[in-house]
Amino acid sequence: MSKPLIQAGPATRWSGDEMKRRVARRYAAERRFRALGLAAVLLSLAFLAFLLVTMIVRGAGGFSSTFLTASDATDPAMAGVWGALKGSMLTILVTMALAFPIGVLAAVYLEEFARRNRWNDLVEVSINNLAAVPSIIFGLLGLAVFLKVMNLPRSAPLVGGLTLALMTMPVIVIAGRNAIKAVPPSIRDAALGVGASKMQVVFHHVLPLALPGILTGTIIGMARALGETAPLLMIGMRAFIAAPPAGVTSPATVLPVQIFLWSDEVDRAFVEKTSAAIIVLLVFMLMMNGLAIYLRNKFERRW
Amino acid sequence: MTKEMQPVTPTTPVPFPSTAIAADAAQDDAGIAKEDTAWTQRPEPTPHLDEAVDSNPTAGEPLGQGAPKMRAQDIKVFYGEKQAIRGVSIDVHEDKVTAFIGPSGCGKSTFLRCLNRMNDTIPGARVTGRIELDGQDINSPDMDVVQLRARVGMVFQKPNPFPKSIFENVAYGPRIHGLAPSKADLDTIVEKSLRRAGLWDEVKDRLTESGTALSGGQQQRLCIARAIAVDPEVILMDEPCSALDPIATAKIEELIHELRGRYAIAIVTHNMQQAARVSQRTAFFHLGELVEYGKTADIFTNPREQRTQDYITGRYG
Ligand SMILES: Nc1ncnc2c1ncn2[C@@H]1O[C@H](COP(=O)(O)OP(=O)(O)OP(=O)(O)O)[C@@H](O)[C@H]1O
Ligand SMILES: [Mg+2]
Repeated sequence: MSKPLIQAGPATRWSGDEMKRRVARRYAAERRFRALGLAAVLLSLAFLAFLLVTMIVRGAGGFSSTFLTASDATDPAMAGVWGALKGSMLTILVTMALAFPIGVLAAVYLEEFARRNRWNDLVEVSINNLAAVPSIIFGLLGLAVFLKVMNLPRSAPLVGGLTLALMTMPVIVIAGRNAIKAVPPSIRDAALGVGASKMQVVFHHVLPLALPGILTGTIIGMARALGETAPLLMIGMRAFIAAPPAGVTSPATVLPVQIFLWSDEVDRAFVEKTSAAIIVLLVFMLMMNGLAIYLRNKFERRW
Repeated sequence: MTKEMQPVTPTTPVPFPSTAIAADAAQDDAGIAKEDTAWTQRPEPTPHLDEAVDSNPTAGEPLGQGAPKMRAQDIKVFYGEKQAIRGVSIDVHEDKVTAFIGPSGCGKSTFLRCLNRMNDTIPGARVTGRIELDGQDINSPDMDVVQLRARVGMVFQKPNPFPKSIFENVAYGPRIHGLAPSKADLDTIVEKSLRRAGLWDEVKDRLTESGTALSGGQQQRLCIARAIAVDPEVILMDEPCSALDPIATAKIEELIHELRGRYAIAIVTHNMQQAARVSQRTAFFHLGELVEYGKTADIFTNPREQRTQDYITGRYG
């Protein structure tokens, strides 16, 4: 301790016992909060670690030399995951190509162009509801509209993608609206103030600033779509398909459905195949989430 | 610090520790100030309003012959139920700087925002009355609001640079209005605007850095540069010097003097001396009303209204 500049100050208010207890309480509260927060993080990580470890232990044997290149087969030794993986990629591609542009457009329209009135409130409530509708209902909708009315091919990534797009769109709209709302109004004022039109304000300033948020929401929606099983069962993607799909209209299956089918097999050898497929699905998802973080950091700007 | 700090003896009454430290520092400064003669030779800032008015030979200028650049008639502004402006009529002249003064919350910014229809963007805000730019009603269907805002530029009360590069901040306006046919032209416009706003020397080597990384005062000057880059006809400045030091403020006041005659300028300021120094016309607002409007010299030396007198002499604010 160095010599104090002022020896006897008049301010004993800050050095009394009561004040010391206050400070001590404040630090104790902070320590408790930190411990609690850390526990919450560890708990969620523990579940992920448990899942990963059990799957790796059980599924490691499932990775034969042909597991990543072969498709489904009746003989577990021959069965591979490539057909389902390709089906998943094609399906998610269709979903992305539809849900992202339409969702972003809708978000921009609702946030920037639609007038604030009762009609708009109704739309808002509907979209929030749509995001909460169970996925199996979307499957039924897909079955009724895409297969029965539009006569699209059964079991195809195209129909799967369309159905999942319906499901993902509200998520993107909600995330997009929130991201657009978070752009500070002063930026809009600044652009309007130099004579930018509404469109220029939106496309030059608001959207670029909202993009990280929109992308995060989109990827979360996509990851959910990737793991979706029930609606795809409804539109017929549950058949035994022994060849990888040639295109978006050929019959296909997807990873989560493949996992579901294999987990139902009586043959014990399929157990480790199931675990191996789960590992592939998890890695696929981790890659998508990694991409989300990369894109977000790339586009993130401060203001 | 060369000499040892002497503890303040507790026998002298010390009201608060900081006072003691300040007193100590003042003693040190006294020694330094004697050596630094340049410091004492600096011109004193004008402490009195009369002197500020006297330093401005144009403060008593009569009106020109021409029609006003902008004319507002019986403007009322409502934010929802709340009325912020209560029937204001005012002319802004092309060859004059018009200063808006008045206590905080009296509606200066609100009125300024009427002039380029920025209040349109506030949900719930309603403006009545007639505003003309060169005789044309700015609310008429013939008037394109985007063009209006390009013609009537604005510097906002809070600095709001785009989160883009410094260059891009200034270049944005000219680019969207097609004012610069070539890259070289754009460079020229950017440099000229930044020079006029007194920012060029500080940023010329870092034009690609983000505008939001500048200091508050630099951001304010960047916003001024952005507004003048579009070459508007009218410039509305809402407290453009609130975050600036005296030297940067002097630069902006110089700029205002320089721009006078080319652009009609309306400036909101809380600094009475500044209003007295830069303007030819002063409008005093109080509680949403225009209390008094006239030649700057008259408002500051011989106001008609008691409320104006009270405000400029600091009796309330
Ligand atoms: N967006 C808004 N919504 C509701 N009321 C507002 C809004 N903006 C301003 N007001 C109100 O209108 C009145 C005038 O505000 P204004 O910003 O014009 O004051 P000002 O004279 O510029 O004050 P200052 O000198 O502090 O900037 C204030 O009472 C304020 O509360
Ligand atoms: Mg204001």
